[in-house]
Amino acid sequence: MTKTAGGVEVEGTVVECLRNATFKVELQNGHTVLAHISGKIRKNYIKILPYDRVLVELSPYDLTRGRIRYRYRS
Amino acid sequence: MNFAHSTSGTGNHAVVVTRASDMQWLAVEDDREVGRGDASRRPDGRLFLSIDAWHGAVFDRIADAILADLPTPLYAVVDEADHDSRSAWERAGFTAARREWGYRVPTAPEVTGLGSVRPPSGVTIVPAGKAEEDPLRALDRIIRDEVEATAGWHTMPAEVLPRPVGTTVVDPSKYAVARHLDRYVGLVRVAPLPRQPRIGLIAVRADSHRRGIARALLAHTLGSMRRTGIASAWAEVDESNAAALTLFESIGARRAAGTVELVRR
Repeated sequence: MTKTAGGVEVEGTVVECLRNATFKVELQNGHTVLAHISGKIRKNYIKILPYDRVLVELSPYDLTRGRIRYRYRS
Repeated sequence: MNFAHSTSGTGNHAVVVTRASDMQWLAVEDDREVGRGDASRRPDGRLFLSIDAWHGAVFDRIADAILADLPTPLYAVVDEADHDSRSAWERAGFTAARREWGYRVPTAPEVTGLGSVRPPSGVTIVPAGKAEEDPLRALDRIIRDEVEATAGWHTMPAEVLPRPVGTTVVDPSKYAVARHLDRYVGLVRVAPLPRQPRIGLIAVRADSHRRGIARALLAHTLGSMRRTGIASAWAEVDESNAAALTLFESIGARRAAGTVELVRR
């Protein structure tokens, strides 16, 4: 887990692609969060698929929600 | 660069937006980053924006700051299903310019119906990595000029990877081409992503349309993927490109996503 200027970032694995452009991501600690993808990922047409390893920035207002900031190359 | 741009508040606290660099803006509340905006230039020269914020009010402050700093037109992309993001951009004066559909393209010949498809008479398919570079670059240039003279290249799905000035073929090894006699007449470019390759471009010269060349290129490309165990590929098609929509849907491709390109003029 990393604390950045933007908030807490945690690695996780995408387990499901949901409607409304959101993803269910299982974090390293076993918790599951709902995450949308960052504007930068959207802008660069990076596709997120189930089983992708990703870096999620958790919302400081609701720790069950987050934003996918990075997709690792598998 | 670190100019304070605007102050506002999401509640009882002040949010300060600063331009952190030429292409980045940060929103800070009580010494904590609560949002950021980025701009980047596509290879075609257009400036695309992205904003990430946990609150709509912060999004609006960042958008205001960016709009005050950068000349229009400015562009953004949102997922078709992401109504919140789209609303946020519309509040900033952006309107829909075009839409792309994302297709999941099967590779199994029993689904695509391409198993028995062969190139038309006199046409051969040159596999990826085997095409001669100079004729390939020339064909790409011709096709882009033809598109620019008709529908316009801006209606084609996004190309986001940086490339040297003056070239549009970054990696020739990603292209398979259709050759008729001694000239190249069609091409398909595939990005070999690990789990789902992306068909980035498929095109045929105008004087060789309606001969089944694009279909033959797809049959070759999808067949190659199938033989390596890949079940599906991905492709984006502009909603106005009726020929491409028909081609992909005729081989069993299924619409799986949509992207809306927004513009502020």
